[in-house]
Amino acid sequence: EAVMGPAARQLVEEHKLDATKIEGTGKGGRITKEDVLKHLKEAPKPS
Amino acid sequence: MSDKFDVVVIGSGPAGYVAAIKAAQLGLNTACVEQWLDDKGAVKLGGTCLNVGCIPSKALLDTSHKYVEARDHFAEHGIKVKAPAIDVGAMLKRKDKIVGQLTGGIAGLFKHNGVTPIEGRGKVLSGPRVEVTNSKGETSVLEASNVIIAAGSVPVEIPPAPIDNEYIVDSTGALEFSEVPGRLGVIGAGVIGLELGSVWGRLGSEVVVLEALDEFLPMMDVQIAKEAGKIFKKQGLDIRLGTRVTGAEVKDGKVTVTYATSDGDHQEVFDKLIVAVGRRPRSEELLASDSGVSLDERGFIYVDDYCATEAPHVYAVGDVVRGPMLAHKGSEEGVMVAERIAGKPAQMNYDVIPSVIYTHPEVAAVGKTEQQLKSEGVEYKSGVFPFVASGRALASGDSDGMVKMLADTETDRILGCHIVGPSAADLVQQVVIAMEFGSSAEDLALTVFGHPTLSEAVHEAALAVDGHAIHIANRKKRK
Repeated sequence: EAVMGPAARQLVEEHKLDATKIEGTGKGGRITKEDVLKHLKEAPKPS
Repeated sequence: MSDKFDVVVIGSGPAGYVAAIKAAQLGLNTACVEQWLDDKGAVKLGGTCLNVGCIPSKALLDTSHKYVEARDHFAEHGIKVKAPAIDVGAMLKRKDKIVGQLTGGIAGLFKHNGVTPIEGRGKVLSGPRVEVTNSKGETSVLEASNVIIAAGSVPVEIPPAPIDNEYIVDSTGALEFSEVPGRLGVIGAGVIGLELGSVWGRLGSEVVVLEALDEFLPMMDVQIAKEAGKIFKKQGLDIRLGTRVTGAEVKDGKVTVTYATSDGDHQEVFDKLIVAVGRRPRSEELLASDSGVSLDERGFIYVDDYCATEAPHVYAVGDVVRGPMLAHKGSEEGVMVAERIAGKPAQMNYDVIPSVIYTHPEVAAVGKTEQQLKSEGVEYKSGVFPFVASGRALASGDSDGMVKMLADTETDRILGCHIVGPSAADLVQQVVIAMEFGSSAEDLALTVFGHPTLSEAVHEAALAVDGHAIHIANRKKRK
């Protein structure tokens, strides 16, 4: 399971994202808030 | 004793002794060469930090702080004491005991880990080999598969105020005054000058700090530096910026210092003068001409990002190489180099190194300052929380200062944190950890902080970044 900080966790929850599809750039592959924001910008919005 | 080692470390300060212990832990046959001797002629491990730097200065800062508490603040708590008196001899004895305990501790750790301490002055020869000249003048040569130079730094001397170790002293001498000077001059308002000025100022010296630069603590965030300057002034430190010392003359047991400012020449008479203008790498007589190691124009040993010199298998760490002259920076470089010698791909993060001034309140910082972000054109947000709004700080009667958090406008990543206030060193460390994990300000804002604690000021500053602090009126954000 993806390791996330609290802000990333909240964003993933808010946007109902699949965390396994987000590339984590933090230490040890952790998903940072930045990674989720970048993912949101790049990924097409779910219809 | 074999005179062939996998690793020979030159210097046993925080960079050298840590490198030696780490190397030994990784199974390397390690020796550590140290020239420093105590009065009994035994090797003194620990370098500047343990013997004449971090540790003794903190011991004196704590004693002098307790004295001020008893003298000036106990009454507020309803504690009645007679005017306290300071026994300087006892204070120094306590400091020496702590130093002895810690340096002895390193000797114990060397023994435990199988590091061979070698007395003498080390010099890097080609090969690499290390020539050791001991206190009796005898010379021997150690064969080394790898050499780690950790020779450290020494105080910078300035021609207008030559050290005589009696009236004009460097930081080492300032840790040994046998009585509280009536009037004390300090040249240099950097970390060392402020800490040593604070020690003796608290014990009763009238302290004047002469600083050549026009700006106070230019490496610190400008808002925090300004706040710190105000607090120090309130405490009685007379800090005079833009003053260039032109001479110091000792006569009849007093030091007369002349200095120039934009409005002309001035004179002050002191009982003692501390020269604390900076430190320089101890790189002279360290390298044979064919060692293959080169120095940069400021005398630092030239190394790459991994502390490798230009000579194969020769590394250099700590104050003798580029970067901030801090014990923990040297230690981490020592660990990195030992691990790389052992074949591990270690690296170190130079962007996230905390720095602290152990005045009271402390001044601490990590990451970028506001002026750095401005000059780099980075869009940032700032959150500030003053300790006067902290329940814990008010309860302990220690509410000067503030926490300032800086984060990237777009990504919310924490870019820096700057604190002047109680326990700033420990508070900033929380942000150091957060930054190491790439935290956003919101990450800290969403984290539970115990109540009542000083750490809550970090929490509130993180909340304030987006205008969500609870216990202060948030600044109105645009948009």
